[in-house]
Amino acid sequence: MMEINLTRVDYAQVGATSPKSLRLLPAAGKTQKVAVGDHKGIMQIFGIRKGDVQSVYKTQPGPKITRLELGGPVDGVRERVFIASGAEVRGFTKKGKNFLTFDTNMSEPIESIYVEGSDLLCCGKFMYNHYKDCKDTNFFLSGDQVSDVICLPSHIVKTLTPILACQDRVLRVLEESELLYEVEVPGPPVTLSLYGGDGGEDGTDVLFGTSDGRVGLVQIERDQPVHTWELPNEKRNGGILCLDNYDITADGVLDLILGRDDGLVEVYSYDDSGEPVHRHTHTCSESITSVQCGIVGNPGYEEIVCSTYAGWVMGLTTESKQKSAGADASILTVEGKDKIIGLRSDLEELQQKVMSEREKYQQTAQSTTAISAVPSFYINDKFVLNREDASYTLSLELQMPIDNVLLQSDVPIDLLDVEKNSAVVSYSACHPEEGNFLLATYRCQANTTRLELKIRSIEGQYGTIQAYITPRVQPKTCKVQQYQIKPLSLHQRTHVFDDNRPHNTLKLTGQFSQAEMHSWVCFCLPELPEKTPPGDSVQFHFMSTFLDTQLECNYSKGIATFRSDNISTISILKDVLTKEATKKKVRLDITYDINDDSIPYTLNLIHPKLEYQLLLAKKVQLIDALKELQVNENSVDFLSPEYRQILVDAEQLKLEYKRQPCHLERLYGMITDLFIDKFKFKGQNMKGRVPALLEVLDNYDLQTLVQFFEITQ
Amino acid sequence: MLVPIFTLNLKHKVNAHMVTIGKYDGIHSSLTCATAAGKVLIHNPHVKSQIGRSEGDISLLSINQQVSSVCAGKLNPDIQNDVLAVGTLTNLMVYDIEKNADLFYKDTPDGSNAVVIGKLGNISPTMAIIGGNCSIQGFDLEGEENFWTVTGDNVCSLALLDFTNNGQNELVVGSEDYDIRVFREDEIIAEMTETESITCLCPMESTKFGYALANGTVGVYDKSSRYWRIKSKNQAVTIHSFDLDSDGVSELITGWSNGKIDARSDRTGEVIFKDNFNCAVAGVIQGDYRQDGGQQLICVSVDGEVRGYNPASEELRGNLMDTNMEQETIRELSQRKQNLMMELRNYEENMKAGVAASSILNARSQESGGGPVSADRPFPPGVEYDQSEMGVIPASTQLQTTLSVNPGDDNKPAHVELIVATTNDTIVRAVLIFAEGIFDGESHVVHPNVNTLSNCVRVPIVPPKDLPVDLHIKAFIGYKNCGQYHVFELTRQLPRYSMYVLGGSEIQEAKGTCSFQVNERVQRIVMWINQNFLLQEDVQCDSDGNVNFAFMSLRGSGPFHFKMDVSGTVTLKTDDMDLAGDIVQTLASFLNIDDLQTTIDYPEEMEKLRETLVKVDEYHAVRQKLTAEMADHSNLIRSLVVRAEDARLMGDMGNMKKGYTELYNMNRDLINGYKIRCGNHQELLASLKQVNQVIQKAGKMRVGKYKTQVVNACRAAIKSNNVNALFKIIKSGGS
Repeated sequence: MMEINLTRVDYAQVGATSPKSLRLLPAAGKTQKVAVGDHKGIMQIFGIRKGDVQSVYKTQPGPKITRLELGGPVDGVRERVFIASGAEVRGFTKKGKNFLTFDTNMSEPIESIYVEGSDLLCCGKFMYNHYKDCKDTNFFLSGDQVSDVICLPSHIVKTLTPILACQDRVLRVLEESELLYEVEVPGPPVTLSLYGGDGGEDGTDVLFGTSDGRVGLVQIERDQPVHTWELPNEKRNGGILCLDNYDITADGVLDLILGRDDGLVEVYSYDDSGEPVHRHTHTCSESITSVQCGIVGNPGYEEIVCSTYAGWVMGLTTESKQKSAGADASILTVEGKDKIIGLRSDLEELQQKVMSEREKYQQTAQSTTAISAVPSFYINDKFVLNREDASYTLSLELQMPIDNVLLQSDVPIDLLDVEKNSAVVSYSACHPEEGNFLLATYRCQANTTRLELKIRSIEGQYGTIQAYITPRVQPKTCKVQQYQIKPLSLHQRTHVFDDNRPHNTLKLTGQFSQAEMHSWVCFCLPELPEKTPPGDSVQFHFMSTFLDTQLECNYSKGIATFRSDNISTISILKDVLTKEATKKKVRLDITYDINDDSIPYTLNLIHPKLEYQLLLAKKVQLIDALKELQVNENSVDFLSPEYRQILVDAEQLKLEYKRQPCHLERLYGMITDLFIDKFKFKGQNMKGRVPALLEVLDNYDLQTLVQFFEITQ
Repeated sequence: MLVPIFTLNLKHKVNAHMVTIGKYDGIHSSLTCATAAGKVLIHNPHVKSQIGRSEGDISLLSINQQVSSVCAGKLNPDIQNDVLAVGTLTNLMVYDIEKNADLFYKDTPDGSNAVVIGKLGNISPTMAIIGGNCSIQGFDLEGEENFWTVTGDNVCSLALLDFTNNGQNELVVGSEDYDIRVFREDEIIAEMTETESITCLCPMESTKFGYALANGTVGVYDKSSRYWRIKSKNQAVTIHSFDLDSDGVSELITGWSNGKIDARSDRTGEVIFKDNFNCAVAGVIQGDYRQDGGQQLICVSVDGEVRGYNPASEELRGNLMDTNMEQETIRELSQRKQNLMMELRNYEENMKAGVAASSILNARSQESGGGPVSADRPFPPGVEYDQSEMGVIPASTQLQTTLSVNPGDDNKPAHVELIVATTNDTIVRAVLIFAEGIFDGESHVVHPNVNTLSNCVRVPIVPPKDLPVDLHIKAFIGYKNCGQYHVFELTRQLPRYSMYVLGGSEIQEAKGTCSFQVNERVQRIVMWINQNFLLQEDVQCDSDGNVNFAFMSLRGSGPFHFKMDVSGTVTLKTDDMDLAGDIVQTLASFLNIDDLQTTIDYPEEMEKLRETLVKVDEYHAVRQKLTAEMADHSNLIRSLVVRAEDARLMGDMGNMKKGYTELYNMNRDLINGYKIRCGNHQELLASLKQVNQVIQKAGKMRVGKYKTQVVNACRAAIKSNNVNALFKIIKSGGS
């Protein structure tokens, strides 16, 4: 396959951008124009000539623009620009004439829009509204947050079929105001796109990208979805924010272009069976909020135009800049020189201005009436659970360089090293009695605008992590962001529940409303909408990312039942819910039904993981010794095949071992909890037997362990 | 873009730090590294050699001990061949690879953590210089010890370079006590204190040298002043100087623990080139590996991957990273513009907020209590400006810091207390202190509980060493429950002797004494004390012009009296030899004294030294006995094996079993014996370290040539086993 070479060219810097708020207008002439909307509320349309921005149109600043879409006649050229800000949608022609200003009157600010002919689909956090010719026609309230909306091309699929990407890992397919069906996807979907821009031959192929970095293609048939392929996120790259289809490799077949929130732009080609194959990765240091392919900078050279969170608009062009600049890239082109001189003089002027303002500001310190009020800045943050290693990733991104971040936690957590983050971390001594279980500073290198941290939590221990973020801008301020570590922090929403497992049940009755119970459950479990879902009774299913045990929550006014095959889960829920109810002075009647079969069942569930980890640890331990033998004996023929295999796989084994630090210890911890909780429900304190249990674990055997759980009285 | 000119894989593990290159036949370069199982690997693609078992281009030397350092170099200036020096935990071996013969083998009980080969000062033979536990030794071609000196702690790194630009090499030594010391022969001519153990040193252009610390810092010194340094979260495994961009000046090449290689300009530390290995880098060296007369930069990873880089060609013009200068410059300028715009916006918004609320604020200033905003009179909520979104504090808010000594009580150990307070009712949400060498990491954070927030935070600091430290303080100032705080930044210096509290006559004098004569006015000495001790108010000399200050150490090393009379006699009374030595050194550098002789008397330390020396003798005796026993055992084993095998061949299973049982028991005895030997060795090492340290402390009490004199005389006394002379030398300085 041909190597793709992409060179970065910066075009402009605008305000901070939301995902999917940059589009390329259809070609008129040799190059295409760029339309981009930012958080300052400015929508601008510009073209590039000889590397310089040629502005076509620019709006006045206003409320922040959350989405920018193109529209046009059905099956026609999409060359009208629609932007959403607040509850308003505005339409512009390609020349910048404002032909539509439409106040939707939605009670939530609009987060995503889609335009199909004269149909306008708008979504707030939970609401979906459909306007036909600006008339409210359909309405739907989603059970969880909506991240994106799209509809199948209406000239192929005759009925208007909107698809909502929802936080609870489903795509909701609608028909008018009704839910047609739900499509379960492997992660929380955040972005949708029609395959090939038109949904393929049948117009039903939809691409989705998830916040945990997966991509998939699903066919939205009339009655049911068909999953075509899914791309896992093995390298644990960032979440997908945007995608585009374009033949950037110029091989006659469309390619898939992805933009991720850790700054990666990836190009995938499709193989003969239609599955994507990785071709190219370009690394930026900021979140990529939009990717769009076309011809912008130079006629004849295709490129990927990207916008980043901090507002850079840049192109990754197939044109080799090395060639145009000659072999010696340190010599400047004429245009570049002009640009640099211009920038320099701008800077000087600005510097003067800043100096005088700074002086003025400092003088106010003498005044008794003056105040120092430094405006707030936006933080683009994400705190998500990774299913693969049951840890949380916290990413923080600013529009300006970060100076340092102070991380404080009132709950015991572990910080894990993230390879791509270059900040120098330092742990400070802290005293739990002051409410500090962790105090760590991250000192960032110059020009770092994005920081990623990895956090490991323990189920049952809950509290708050606070991040104090100081950007490198005078006058210096820091902003606090809080993140909750929930009691059942390692649980993840799912839509399947296996009824055949042996379950322990916890039943609560009392004088509480459904909303109250929902807020308590929200307090215990991640990935739930803050809003109480509609309906008389609510049901949610969860899965433990670490142990694969399950949990069912079922509640309505005055009654709540929880079922889980893991007795520790039930125990944590019982403790926390009682505590929360007591805080609210609500009396709860608690009954529980412990199924003794659930213990061996859970142990059996843990067994393969534990055995695998033990074996892995053993193998890794042997590697160095075997290597030494190999060096000494000059041949490994005398070793048993098992050992020879270890030598062959050595690197992989080590890598895997490194990727899951303390996995074994965590499993041991879970088993110990299981043991203590089992007897807690029987009213016995078994803490004294824990050393004996650990001894059994040291010489692990499933049968002995199960017996230990049963015999101990 | 600069790409490797060759890559190869050694297919062996390579120990970090232990990589060198030598021309063992005088012509062809051979990469040499220590590998697993106490072996040294020699890669000689150009010559076919007979040593060891050859496997491809690689031959292995069995050292059969854990290798701690390797270095190749020309020990015999008369012939072209390089020799290989291999240091282990207990000895130094020097090989002639070409002849496959030992040149010499020396017991070095202090170990050899680092080895360099070269000429030092006026000492005529070229030496292999090794650094071990507090000691540095130099051996010539014959294995004669030509050089010996002591240093403050275990040596981690050595480099030979012309520090003074006098045409002769000085020895730069990095040790675990965070000090870089420069020896002109055995005299210390410079001492720089860093913030962590110095893991690597490398000579650079003229008087410059590069260094790396265990905490991820690398940097460049020119003589005793630091040019630049950078800190990474990874650790620098190895550094080397090489002119990669062909501009005539060498860059500092660093190999990192995460597999990164970077080349930094020696002047600015700016990265001009980088590359990545899949695993940690083990060593970076240079040599003519392509037999074309040029030099290549050769990088080796711990997995045995080797990459060689040719210096960049003319066409690249120093641009090794394929960067587009134009785009880079534009991006950087735009970024700067963006930042200035942000700052400008901050001032504008601040002004707007002030104007928007001006009427209320002005009215307030008339009220009693004054102040535009306070905890109970928050910023007036407006449509546009909301306090929850915006950190608002009175513009007159100031941050005050005070440093004082807190002698501690039953609950709290003694410490230096830093008080950070604001001048009004704003609260201090958190205090971050960035300082090097006094905390576990590079920072210390105080984040009080939400219920105990006030406008004042007390930060206890316990500096582990007597060093002046800059405290970079960042305080988050605001009101309770606000989401954004102002960050106040300021720097305070902690004086060198901050862990000593001034007392009165109630403090008993210590037995240890150190006295010397200075030609200086008492006032100047008083000034020095005021600068270097943390005192609540400045001290004065008494009416007679004498000085007698009594301090108490907060680290538990007892009282310390500083006395001086009009005649210029200074007496230091303390049982802490380190402290006295430290005072002598800093005072001497403050007063610009080049040479200073002192008389000291430390009866307790001397008694301890006497005991240690007795112990050392005992350990030596035990060692000899154990070695003899082991030799006996190995003879026995031989005969047992023969007997048992005979029995097996004869089919006499009973006797064979018996033989092997005995062998098994013998083996167990041997293992036990080995364990005892190990224990004995550890004890011996600890004792020797103590002896070295006492000598070093005794040296530290003197300055200049007297210092050298003491150290040399002590060494001579120890060699001749003359304990009484040793004590006398320590006391009077041995002339």
